[in-house]
Amino acid sequence: MNIRKLAWKNLLRRKSRAVFTGLGIFLGIATFVAISSITSQMEGAVQDQLDRFGANIVVSPRAERLSLGFGDIALGGTEVAHSRLAIADKERIASIHHKDRIRSVVPFILAASDVSGKNLVWMGLPSTDLAIARPWWKITGSPVRERGEVLLGAEAAAMLDKGPGGTVTAGNRLYRVAGVLHPTGEKEDGMVIADIGDVQSLAKNPGAVTYFEVAALCKDCPVEDIVAQIGQALPGARVSAIRQVVESRKAAVDQLRRLGFGVSSIVLLIGGLMVLVTVMGGVQERTREIGVLRAVGFRTRSIFSLLFWETGWVSLLSSLLGAATGIAAAYLVAPSFGIEHPGIRMLPALLGTAAGLVLGLLGAVPPARRAAALSPTEAIRTL
Amino acid sequence: MEPIIHLNGVSMIYGGNGTRATALSGVSFDVRPGEYAVITGESGAGKSTLLAILGGLQIPSEGTVRIHGVDLSALPSDGLADFRRETIGFVFQAYHLLPYLTARENVMVPMSPERVSPGEKVERADSLLAAVGLDGKEDRLPSQLSGGESQRVAIARALVHDPPVLLADEPTGNLDSATGEQILDLFSGLNGRGKTVLMVTHNPANLARATRSIRLRDGRVEEDRILAPLAV
Ligand SMILES: Nc1ncnc2c1ncn2[C@@H]1O[C@H](COP(=O)(O)OP(=O)(O)OP(=O)(O)O)[C@@H](O)[C@H]1O
Ligand SMILES: [Mg+2]
Repeated sequence: MNIRKLAWKNLLRRKSRAVFTGLGIFLGIATFVAISSITSQMEGAVQDQLDRFGANIVVSPRAERLSLGFGDIALGGTEVAHSRLAIADKERIASIHHKDRIRSVVPFILAASDVSGKNLVWMGLPSTDLAIARPWWKITGSPVRERGEVLLGAEAAAMLDKGPGGTVTAGNRLYRVAGVLHPTGEKEDGMVIADIGDVQSLAKNPGAVTYFEVAALCKDCPVEDIVAQIGQALPGARVSAIRQVVESRKAAVDQLRRLGFGVSSIVLLIGGLMVLVTVMGGVQERTREIGVLRAVGFRTRSIFSLLFWETGWVSLLSSLLGAATGIAAAYLVAPSFGIEHPGIRMLPALLGTAAGLVLGLLGAVPPARRAAALSPTEAIRTL
Repeated sequence: MEPIIHLNGVSMIYGGNGTRATALSGVSFDVRPGEYAVITGESGAGKSTLLAILGGLQIPSEGTVRIHGVDLSALPSDGLADFRRETIGFVFQAYHLLPYLTARENVMVPMSPERVSPGEKVERADSLLAAVGLDGKEDRLPSQLSGGESQRVAIARALVHDPPVLLADEPTGNLDSATGEQILDLFSGLNGRGKTVLMVTHNPANLARATRSIRLRDGRVEEDRILAPLAV
């Protein structure tokens, strides 16, 4: 018989109380572990999905007067480009040191040209890259699948009064309208989208590229490094990260993490309060028992240690159980959170178990102090 | 012979300004080792309060208490706990066994904070249980023991640290007279082996075994009488 065993025996005798005390911690830790292991896996998944969603770096020619940027590409010859980009530059971009971080490099060409009597801007990109570069586009009809087909922006289609299956002429050639883009609110609404080869021939500039869109996977790798490396590979080009895109991705993941942290903190707090209340109630119920222990010579420290072992046992067991349940729950629900390869995260489980133990012990502090302060005579007054 | 218990001008006043209750006022007496003192008095006379003070469970409002050479007022709370463990064995009217522990485990409770090997603890508990006549009932729970048997367990528990002083508050109060007699036999035997016994009781029959009678009234010693001379 020692204090540890005494505590254990006392717990066994009050199973339902012990279960109730443990329940708070169990639920708190299970939620904490489930949420934090899901969020930590989601960070990866969200990052992956966001990275799949369009480009985050634009490579354009360095211009003398106008600052060029995404969505702000000057057309025509008002400014003197120092150097021009060409299809061949794609190889250079794709062979930088961090090449494994680059998901896609898509060349674009913009050119103004007459289409069935209207002067419109043509945007050309490899038809095979359309789905990668603009996955969010909604199209009536079908996207451009090969040369000779065009996709009309919503405004362009209205202006030309054409729909899927129609034809337009440009540069003495007939193009089939494969589809019409739903309004996007962007410049492409007024554009004609076609294969890059067609637009290069229209512009009589084979091999020319107006800009490249680069999609880099920037999970735990500063996008600045990639920008610098592309800049080195193409000294004449202006490489800029689309800050907004990068930042909003970070923000989305951060928000997720904060939400998870907030929810599990609240649940943990409730668990702690449950421990406090049940242990406190236990002390009141056991006033006499504690008085007897003091009468037989228990020091304050031994009374403390008894109550701590009691909550210690409960919180250890329920935290371990909670952590295991949390891991299992996270594993099971992972697919519905877009996590394709659910894994087991040990860190949240370890943190959770430790937190549960600490919380349980903290919850025992006020009751233990109260027990220690009990006057022994009051405790055995009921003689 | 040096008294084992020395009380001088002990008063105990409960409560604050409005509701002051004087439980003891100016109690002084000495008890020599080996005495068997019976403390009597009406309900509310201060008997339990006196035992609590003697056992270091309560600090008197006034006066000095010296037991076994230790001045209780000078002790910090851990010191009082150690004093209780080493010097005092308590026996209560309601036994106060822990209901979820077996007889053996109840006897071992006072040893539980100690770093003694489990085997040694069990051995000590079993020999004490045998000494109070509970051989073979070590594994019973209090609910499986009669009142007299429960009180024997409580006495065995009080004896764990072989204290020189036994304090008992109506130990036979919950027992029928035959069973009560057996418990009193135990106390007599312990007293015969040198333990100093102070027993609170309502039952005048208990006086027969004692060497001394102290009667309290309204917190004062009303009568203090030697019943039998101490064999030296
Ligand atoms: N904690 C307390 N607060 C206030 N008054 C108290 C307290 N404890 C005891 N008293 C009072 O002190 C007096 C003595 O009480 P005590 O319990 O010592 O009496 P007693 O002689 O043991 O009585 P009984 O025979 O009924 O057990 C009583 O008047 C009681 O009301
Ligand atoms: Mg009393």
